[in-house]
Amino acid sequence: MRTSRIIPIATLALLMGTVACKKPAPAPTGPSQAEIDAANAKKAADEAAAQKAAAEEAARKAAAEEAARKAAAEEAAQKAAAEEAAFKAAAEKALVNIHFDYDKSDIKEGDRAILQGIADFMKQYSQARIEIQGNCDERGTNEYNLALGNRRADAAQAYLKTLGVAESRMSTISFGKEKPLCTEHKESCWSQNRRDEFHLK
Amino acid sequence: MMRALFRQLFCAITVLASVGLAAQQTEVVLSSTSGAKLVLAVPPPVLSGVDQATADAQFTAVLQRDLDESGVFGLLKDKLPTATDPSSYGAWKDAGAQWLLLCKLTRTASGDCQLDASAIDTAAGKAVFTKPYKADRRVPIRRLAHALSDDLVLQLTGVRGVASSRIVFVRQLHPGVKEVFQVDRDGANVLQLTHNDSLTLAPSVAQDGRLAFVTYKAGAPEIWGQRTRDGAQVRLYAAPGGALVSSPAWSPDGKRLAFVQGDRRGNTDIMVMDLATGRVHRLTDGGGINTEPTWNPDGTQIAFTSDREGGPQVFLMQSDGSNVRRLTSEGTYNASPAWSPSGAMIAYVSRFEGRFDLFIYKLGEGKSYQITNGVNTSESPSWSPDERRLVFTSDRLGTMQLFTTDLAGLQVVRLSDLTNCQSPVWTRAR
Repeated sequence: MRTSRIIPIATLALLMGTVACKKPAPAPTGPSQAEIDAANAKKAADEAAAQKAAAEEAARKAAAEEAARKAAAEEAAQKAAAEEAAFKAAAEKALVNIHFDYDKSDIKEGDRAILQGIADFMKQYSQARIEIQGNCDERGTNEYNLALGNRRADAAQAYLKTLGVAESRMSTISFGKEKPLCTEHKESCWSQNRRDEFHLK
Repeated sequence: MMRALFRQLFCAITVLASVGLAAQQTEVVLSSTSGAKLVLAVPPPVLSGVDQATADAQFTAVLQRDLDESGVFGLLKDKLPTATDPSSYGAWKDAGAQWLLLCKLTRTASGDCQLDASAIDTAAGKAVFTKPYKADRRVPIRRLAHALSDDLVLQLTGVRGVASSRIVFVRQLHPGVKEVFQVDRDGANVLQLTHNDSLTLAPSVAQDGRLAFVTYKAGAPEIWGQRTRDGAQVRLYAAPGGALVSSPAWSPDGKRLAFVQGDRRGNTDIMVMDLATGRVHRLTDGGGINTEPTWNPDGTQIAFTSDREGGPQVFLMQSDGSNVRRLTSEGTYNASPAWSPSGAMIAYVSRFEGRFDLFIYKLGEGKSYQITNGVNTSESPSWSPDERRLVFTSDRLGTMQLFTTDLAGLQVVRLSDLTNCQSPVWTRAR
């Protein structure tokens, strides 16, 4: 610490001695120390300004890019939401219950249009997977009705397969008489309960 | 406004009146069944350390109901002598009592309970049955009444009574949520056995008390149950691809489980799983609906419901699937077979004029007998372990509730006031 301070002072003394012994030098032609310092300072300031400008430019660019990205994402999200909404709306329109006669699992003439609509929906939306839920009215035993509901679900699945819907996109489940829509003991209620429901999976 | 109010009031009164009438009819039927049975008189028990109200409600009423529904005793209720010493036996005999049941109920200082019971044959003037019962203070007094009733039936018939038995059944808690419950044979001590928070159906109870049932808690139905007597409820079987499974039925030896599986082409088949190996094989071959398997007592045959010849009918087969033959011939809808504990009878339901009634097919005679008689619907028969009664569900008082009936269909009794019940199973094992 101490030695490092002594060395520059000694060097300066030596330098001054040398100057004093020589003839007076001609007037210097290069820039003065002050000029050099001023130039250096200006250079540094210019550089700093350039850096600042570059940084500002970069930030502006990044912000613009971010905004563009956000706008694109928003647009994509809106588009996806719209597609999802269209999908849901199409599903809601297409996935309508079909009904059966007592102790029967034959697809009724009048329900064929519903099944065609479901098949069309499945063709339009390749992502759609459905669960077919077979149900029965309250008359008959719990276990026989589970088998009957199973047969009703399988009947709709087989029919949809003939309309070109891949079996891998459908699953079936039977609730027998365990999940009635209507609980009164009359035909107008029973006929609602003898049904297949179609649900997105 | 006023008229509407009156109409509502009138409806309410009508409902009350019809319920009251139904109860009254049951009462009338009750007393008419005492004819051909051994007539028993039960004077009030001698009490020590037990208050009268507790004894009346928890012991005497319970014992009388047990004996009345045992099917083998008729209770003498009128003109009872007051004395119960040996010199009074003649008076009891003259009053019509064949047996006089003397009970002494004692609560000790520690809170334990003792019942001393003896049945006197009034003709011979001596005891035909004497037994002391001791119960820890945590045991309800009604259990002593059940034990005594079961012993008296055993003494008279050689087969233990079923007062101490239980019913396992399914009850709806909310739409779409059903759980398995158990209840004492007289409607006391309701206990929820499953907590699946989903559809849980079709309980079966093995001879050692192990439970099996179907639950939809994973989405597709699966068979769950116990591998050991007090073991946790675990998955026993799930069909490939989430296909339908239903109707589990323990074999009498508890080593196999019959059940039903869908084939995805509209058919359902009876399957059997060996519990030890998990190996499953199919007994029926894909022709229509086959469901509701029930084993005969030695496990060599299975009765089941099939629509292979049109509507549902009851069929029999060997437990390897061979020798399928149709059992029921009359009617267009026969289902829900339940093989009796002795193997001699099969109870089932039959639809007649739009309603379901209980029937019994006597295998020895090759004939069917109608048990219930067109009072709304009667479904899901299950035999009492002593083969004297059936438990079933009926909506005769509005919603589906548990009832029992004797085999003559004369003594129909509501088991409990629980609503939305289905699939009862009568067991001694729980």
